[in-house]
Amino acid sequence: MERLINSLRARLMSVVLVINAALVPLLYLGVSAIVEEGYAEQFVNPVRSYSRLVADELESADEADFERRAGALLDSVVLTGQVVFAQIDDGQRKLRSSLSTVPSAAARHDDFSFGSQADQVYYISHPVKRASRPVVLRLGFDESLTLERIAAAKRRVLAALLAFTSASIAVAIWLSAVIARPMVRLQEAAKRVAGGDFHAQLQMRSSIREVQELNHHLERMRQELVGTNDRLESEMRERGVSEQKRLDLERRLLHRERIATIGTLAGGVAHEFNNIMTPILLYSQVALADTPADSALAKDLTRIVVAAHRARNLVTRILTFSREMDLPPATVFSLRPTVEEALTLLRAIVPANIEIAFHPGGEGLPVLGDPSLIHQVVINLCTNGYQAMRRSGGRLAVSLCVVENPAESQIDPGRYTMLEVSDTGHGVDAAVIAHIFEPFFTTRDVGDGTGLGLSVVHGIVTSMGGLITVESVVGRGTAFRVYLPAAAPPAGALEEGAGATN
Amino acid sequence: MACILVVDDEPEVGEAIRRVLERAGFSVAVANSADLGLLALEKDQPDIIVTDVIMPKVHGLELIKAVRERYPRVRVIAISGGGSFGLLSYKPDAISTHAYLAAAREAGAEEILTKPFDMGDLLAAVRRQLPN
Repeated sequence: MERLINSLRARLMSVVLVINAALVPLLYLGVSAIVEEGYAEQFVNPVRSYSRLVADELESADEADFERRAGALLDSVVLTGQVVFAQIDDGQRKLRSSLSTVPSAAARHDDFSFGSQADQVYYISHPVKRASRPVVLRLGFDESLTLERIAAAKRRVLAALLAFTSASIAVAIWLSAVIARPMVRLQEAAKRVAGGDFHAQLQMRSSIREVQELNHHLERMRQELVGTNDRLESEMRERGVSEQKRLDLERRLLHRERIATIGTLAGGVAHEFNNIMTPILLYSQVALADTPADSALAKDLTRIVVAAHRARNLVTRILTFSREMDLPPATVFSLRPTVEEALTLLRAIVPANIEIAFHPGGEGLPVLGDPSLIHQVVINLCTNGYQAMRRSGGRLAVSLCVVENPAESQIDPGRYTMLEVSDTGHGVDAAVIAHIFEPFFTTRDVGDGTGLGLSVVHGIVTSMGGLITVESVVGRGTAFRVYLPAAAPPAGALEEGAGATN
Repeated sequence: MACILVVDDEPEVGEAIRRVLERAGFSVAVANSADLGLLALEKDQPDIIVTDVIMPKVHGLELIKAVRERYPRVRVIAISGGGSFGLLSYKPDAISTHAYLAAAREAGAEEILTKPFDMGDLLAAVRRQLPN
């Protein structure tokens, strides 16, 4: 930046100095010559007239009285002050004013030039016609006053020229500042733009048209650059977002596939299991029927029957997950009464250190499905929640609200009823969340729950064309959100419900 | 004494049902496939047939339809413990245990039972279908 200032200023200054250096001496010489000429003329002309006058006087003088008259005239001439030397030469002898201050030896005949002699005296010779014989009048005039005037005039010229030079240098400095400053600012702004700060506006106020136009063009270039940059950035952002969406979908798909695989496996196992359980149940019941009721054997057999019943219930739950269970017929119903009924049941079993709060945001939209399944969803989610707070106590919040076009990427836009169950329990980390809806996945101790609850909830919600999400912060709590699509008008209800599932 | 034919591709299931029914005093024949079931129908002339729905080769549903056509007097009790693994949904053609049993009922079964069932439930179903 300094380099630009220096070079611009130096260039302007050097141009001004060169012009001055070339012009000022020329001007000085020219003006001096004119001044000298003028002064010389002013000096010489009256001097000549004066000497002619003196010569005329001598011509008209009496022949007899010439000597005396001439002597007196020469003295009077010298007495005027300007004439410092006066003499008359008749060829044989020279009559000279006794008042002459310049010795006659110094006076030369051919001295008609002004200011060329070191004695500062201008000599002029004038022939005087006389009857007897001609004489030559020689007068010497003092040049010093005029020379002094010339010198003074020259000094004034020099002073004026010096003033002009300094003024032009000052103007050059000002001009270079005027031109260089906006350029430097432009350069600074351009440097910022080049350095990546594309929003540094190039706004130079300059009275120089070229600078303004340069600024204008640069500003347009910058805006073009900003536009291109913004476009690129937004493209990159969009690409990032769609990439994120793609990854999200991929993850969801993988998750679904895994759950579907597990479901198929569970379904296959369940089928075989039911066949195996049939003879166990039937034989133990036959044996129990043939055994005296109060015998030890009867007790043993009863235990087998009870265990077989438990196994049967377990299989039913697995089949719920594997989407293989017996579905009750679908009806259109409102969520709120079902949720309230489930909460009434829960209040009876939940310990006193856990508070249950229900926030029904209106009636919610009617949904298509079976109320008993929603009942099961609420029970399972709440059970999960209160078990997370069993030791610490806390607050179990259940809420219902209507959501238009949920932000979740995995479901179609539309109207949904959202059921949220949140607790203030220990929370779970991301590793647990990744598997939370898988069957048999449990964080509880062995024997404390089957790990099927959330997978069953997942199966039910998916079967209704809905979505379940989970959000958890370790130490703060967990929130499950169930989105259930609003039921379509009754005529197409069945197809609609199915369509959302596929 | 009423005669009951049990058809199931799982021999253990067939034998267990035979045990329950014989203990209750019925005359029981067991077949391990639908084909054998059809032969036994001709030979034993049962009053009631207890049949599995999902069986290899000839499907239980076809057996039920054949019974309805050829032996209109014979009562049918369909049993099933799980079908193929279609998606759970409210689509009308969804395939599930429930759907199979519903199909069995549609094909003409008088009773349906989900495996594993209790002895009491089986006997109750059989007694409901006994000829007077």
